[in-house]
Amino acid sequence: MASILIYLVIGLPWIGALLVWLAGDKRTTVQHILAILFSVASGIAAVALLFNTSSTTVINLDAGGVFGQFTFVADGLAVFLAVVATVIGSLAVIFSVDYMHGEKSLGRYYAMVLFFIGGMAGLVLTSNLLLMFFFWEITALCSYALIAFHNDDPKAVAGGIKALIITQLGGVGLLAGALLLFSQTGSYDFNRMIADPGIIDPRILSGMAFGCLVAAAAKSAQFPFQTWLPDAMEAPTPISALIHAATMVNAGVYLLARFFPAFKGVPGWTTAVILVGMISAILTAIMALVANDLKRVLAYSTVSQLGYMVFAIGCGGVYASQFHLFSHSIFKALLFLAAGAVIHSVGTRDMRQMGALGKQMPLTRFVFVIGSLALAGIPVLNGFWSKELVLEAGLQHGPIWAYAFMLLSAGLTAFYTFRMVYMVFYGKPSSEKHVHDAQPAMKVALIPLAAGALLSWLLAGPFSSLLHNSLPAHEIHAITTTEVLMEVLAAPATYIALAVVALGLIAWWQRQHLGGVAHAFRWLTAAAENSFGFEAVNAGIVRLTLGAAQKLRTTQTGLLNWNIAGLLIAFIAVILILVVRG
Amino acid sequence: MTAQTALTLLLAIPLGAAPVIYLAGRIALKTRVKSGGASARILAVLALLAAMVPLYYAAMHFTSTGPLTLDINRISLQMDGISLLVALTALILGLCVTFFSTKYMQNDEGEEKFFALLMIMIVGIIGLVCATDLFNLWVWFEVMAVSSYLLVAFYRSQPDALEAGVKYLVQSATGSVFILLGIALTFAQTGVLNLHEIRLAVSAGGNSPIILSASVLMLIGFGVKAALVPLHTWLPDAHSQAPSGISAMLSGIVIEAGLVALLRSTGAVIVSHTTWGYLIMAFGALNLLVGNLMALRQTQVKRMLAYSSVSQMGYILVGIGVAVYTLQPEGAAGGFFHVITHSLMKGAAFLAAGALLYALRMAHHNHEPLTVSDLDGASQRYPVTAFFLAVALLALGGLPPLAGFMSKWQIFVAGFQSGNSLAIALVIFAAINSVLSLGYYAPLVNRMYRHEPSDLVKEGKPISWVMVLPLVIMTVAIVALGIWPPLVRWLTTPAAMSLLAIFGG
Amino acid sequence: MTTIPYIDMLTVMIVFGIGLYTLLITRNLIKVVIALQILVKAGMIALVLAGRINGQVMTGQSIALTVIVADTIVAVIALALAVQVKKHHGTVDLDKLRNLKG
Repeated sequence: MASILIYLVIGLPWIGALLVWLAGDKRTTVQHILAILFSVASGIAAVALLFNTSSTTVINLDAGGVFGQFTFVADGLAVFLAVVATVIGSLAVIFSVDYMHGEKSLGRYYAMVLFFIGGMAGLVLTSNLLLMFFFWEITALCSYALIAFHNDDPKAVAGGIKALIITQLGGVGLLAGALLLFSQTGSYDFNRMIADPGIIDPRILSGMAFGCLVAAAAKSAQFPFQTWLPDAMEAPTPISALIHAATMVNAGVYLLARFFPAFKGVPGWTTAVILVGMISAILTAIMALVANDLKRVLAYSTVSQLGYMVFAIGCGGVYASQFHLFSHSIFKALLFLAAGAVIHSVGTRDMRQMGALGKQMPLTRFVFVIGSLALAGIPVLNGFWSKELVLEAGLQHGPIWAYAFMLLSAGLTAFYTFRMVYMVFYGKPSSEKHVHDAQPAMKVALIPLAAGALLSWLLAGPFSSLLHNSLPAHEIHAITTTEVLMEVLAAPATYIALAVVALGLIAWWQRQHLGGVAHAFRWLTAAAENSFGFEAVNAGIVRLTLGAAQKLRTTQTGLLNWNIAGLLIAFIAVILILVVRG
Repeated sequence: MTAQTALTLLLAIPLGAAPVIYLAGRIALKTRVKSGGASARILAVLALLAAMVPLYYAAMHFTSTGPLTLDINRISLQMDGISLLVALTALILGLCVTFFSTKYMQNDEGEEKFFALLMIMIVGIIGLVCATDLFNLWVWFEVMAVSSYLLVAFYRSQPDALEAGVKYLVQSATGSVFILLGIALTFAQTGVLNLHEIRLAVSAGGNSPIILSASVLMLIGFGVKAALVPLHTWLPDAHSQAPSGISAMLSGIVIEAGLVALLRSTGAVIVSHTTWGYLIMAFGALNLLVGNLMALRQTQVKRMLAYSSVSQMGYILVGIGVAVYTLQPEGAAGGFFHVITHSLMKGAAFLAAGALLYALRMAHHNHEPLTVSDLDGASQRYPVTAFFLAVALLALGGLPPLAGFMSKWQIFVAGFQSGNSLAIALVIFAAINSVLSLGYYAPLVNRMYRHEPSDLVKEGKPISWVMVLPLVIMTVAIVALGIWPPLVRWLTTPAAMSLLAIFGG
Repeated sequence: MTTIPYIDMLTVMIVFGIGLYTLLITRNLIKVVIALQILVKAGMIALVLAGRINGQVMTGQSIALTVIVADTIVAVIALALAVQVKKHHGTVDLDKLRNLKG
């Protein structure tokens, strides 16, 4: 049963992708319908898979030799993320019906989205590290193709290529990890290593651990690779919601969570994870304070929230991190899609040209505010519970200074969230343009997500038993929802965090009176506007590479004598090498 | 069909077809005013299809009983794993190229010569990889080289094609003399020419400066054809100026055949396989870096693809180098897998670029090179061809689910399995280079998917199905190998074993 | 093994050296073709010589004869290309034959 469902979850979107592409751009209605059908069908298969979880391998295809066994496992962590990918994928596809209405090359768009959904499901469902890398790169390919969907816009193309190159560069870490695993155990099945990390030489294990951390940081846009995600906002907004908020960027967090039992013993690894998460969370929260592009604010906020998840893993809170991932997928997809409705209607992403849109777009405002409250961590929305769990894990198991920084970013989160809501929906209108509220298909996508942001925390108990039952090595305790709630409510960390969040809100309320403080931190905001110099480093590396390439071109002189000289030079060089080496 | 007959026919059919094609073309040209090439075209396709039959039998014999040998007078041939792999790749790619060229070269002056020379080139490749003695190796090599000189300079009225042809000829002929000297030294020292006997004599005789010089002379000589950096300088000129079908052949199989010749000849005369493995790996690293950096700033599509061949050769060298160093088959299997995938990917890329070049420029009797900006919005007018070019480019960049990913993966695994820290560092370097290569493949893909077509695309002629069909076949193969790599294990594993046999493992 | 004929070996080296040196310095395409010919002659002498050293004179000479055939074909093609170059570029100067670079 489970094996058929896995084939369906991965295969249906891919078949759909092929069909949508074959349908051709002249039949747009057929394309819309096919895309919705296949993504929803895959979502249903994934939900059905929830009731068939186990920690045993359910598919095993022998590719032999260096390609190993192509294995798939439907354990709790995998199925949960597959559900997130396919269900939010379906909602994004439904949203696209209105959002992408009248766009050219719809076939390419839907084909890539469906290809992505299948690839993301495959990424989490496989237990073969080669296949994981395979799907990892497929998601990178789709992400690149969809960011650069508007190929005529040089910014979109640059953003796409940047995302591709940076995630691929990080992917080299995962590649090295997979190859090390294979050269040590003769198999790519990571479950064996997770069950008993002792089968691997500690030095090799350390190499794998840090390799995976690099790969995860690049994929999840964590420090120091965070620069690609804001530029990825050139993608159509449903793509930002699906790939760059709810699913693909979680792959890094998934990787760390998956391997946590194996890597936690590696000296310095957990500290490194905590540092990466903390720095990402705080840096991008500051950058979100000064950004004026609505989607960029959300992108920074995504990096910041992913930082929370990474931080939680570093502190040993795998359950907390995955629960936050769950909440975040819902509320951030909601925020992006609602922002998409706003952008679609207003025609700009600059928040300074918005304002007072709330009256004209009541439904969008309503769902956006729900998402924002969840993001800011206001009770009783889902973001509140999961963020409290993360902070509690940090207070219990992490260093206190890291906890302090995470608290600070919680306050900053509240601050920038309210700034964003105010700039978009309240305040003074900046144009007289008439805007319309979300269209029907958009509403179909927005309302379930809003309900999810309000209520998904009720699943805390079933979620914990899902992970507990099929992940023996992760030591996750099965607890009921009530226990989770009591734990959060009883923890002092909760009230500290709430106080900081409240401080953030108060700071926003009283922003006129805090001019002196703002003035004192002018250097910080200036640095944040320049992305703390990371963009300059990126640009420098690109310039250096291109410069080297240009210089090297002079070696191809086009002079025949020089070509012959190449022979002589190589001959002498090789002779010398052989003589010296003996 | 006996093994001997199969092997004989495999060589005889294309070789015999060459003069027939030429004569048929000439006669048709004399008797009819137009379409003189029609008979030549059809004959060429038929000859290659016919050659598939003996190859099938040869492959059957090989898989059931092992290497098959054939002795005709002083010519001695043996089909082992490497020969089978390269011969099959050459025939399939050759068939795709010939079919493609029936349209691409249609009514060009000297069309019948083109197909006749193409046949000779394919025979040269098959003979080259089957040769068992040093001098036969050189003769087949010259057959392949001479036909390729003429094919590169096929557009005799194009100044740039002539320039490329001359440079290619001189550099390659110089390399050829290096090989002759190497053969002379080996022959003088050992008194035998058979590769296996040379190997025995050398391992009995131990290290000597004469044999060392001979090995290096042959490395450099064959290295010219295999495009080892810094002997690669002919490649970007020749590959970019040749007719597109020939570019596909050169990149897809000729340089790989040169590498096989290099391995066969040097494998017999080297003493320390570890040093030699390091040397091949070092060339691999150089090829990767120089090829990628040079390709990064190219504006002409075919020249960019040519430099990309230099870097793709680097992956093959890394795989083979690891295998030679460790005497373990995995790296060689990966390297040979990459030979197959590269011939498909680069073949498809050159043919697709050729189809676009034909539709955008040559159909207007314009022989200027195709630049990357000419392809702006190509997908609007040529959705199928642009898609195939995009797939080929992304496969070259090593993205799944395409073949390049899997063959690179196998090479990388071998590097890590060797346990040698230099090899591991080289694999990481190769992986980073693979990312770097996306820096020139991806922008081209983006350009093709713009909505605003370039002026050339607006005025482009339609592309015939004859040019698209080979692309369909190659693309299907690229995707199939990307998803299920074991499909070609029956070819790569014996080839790897043969390589180890050459190096005495 | 007979005594090694040093004079002959020296001849090979000198002829090879002259050919290679010319290839490296000349800017004239015709001279390049001549230099290639000189280079190949060195190879042929070496092959004949190799046959003599190990007592297989026949083999060495028959190989050398085959090389002459192959080499003639290459020379013919090279000269034909040189003629075309002169026709379409108007010169056989290698310095002017540098359209393809970078």
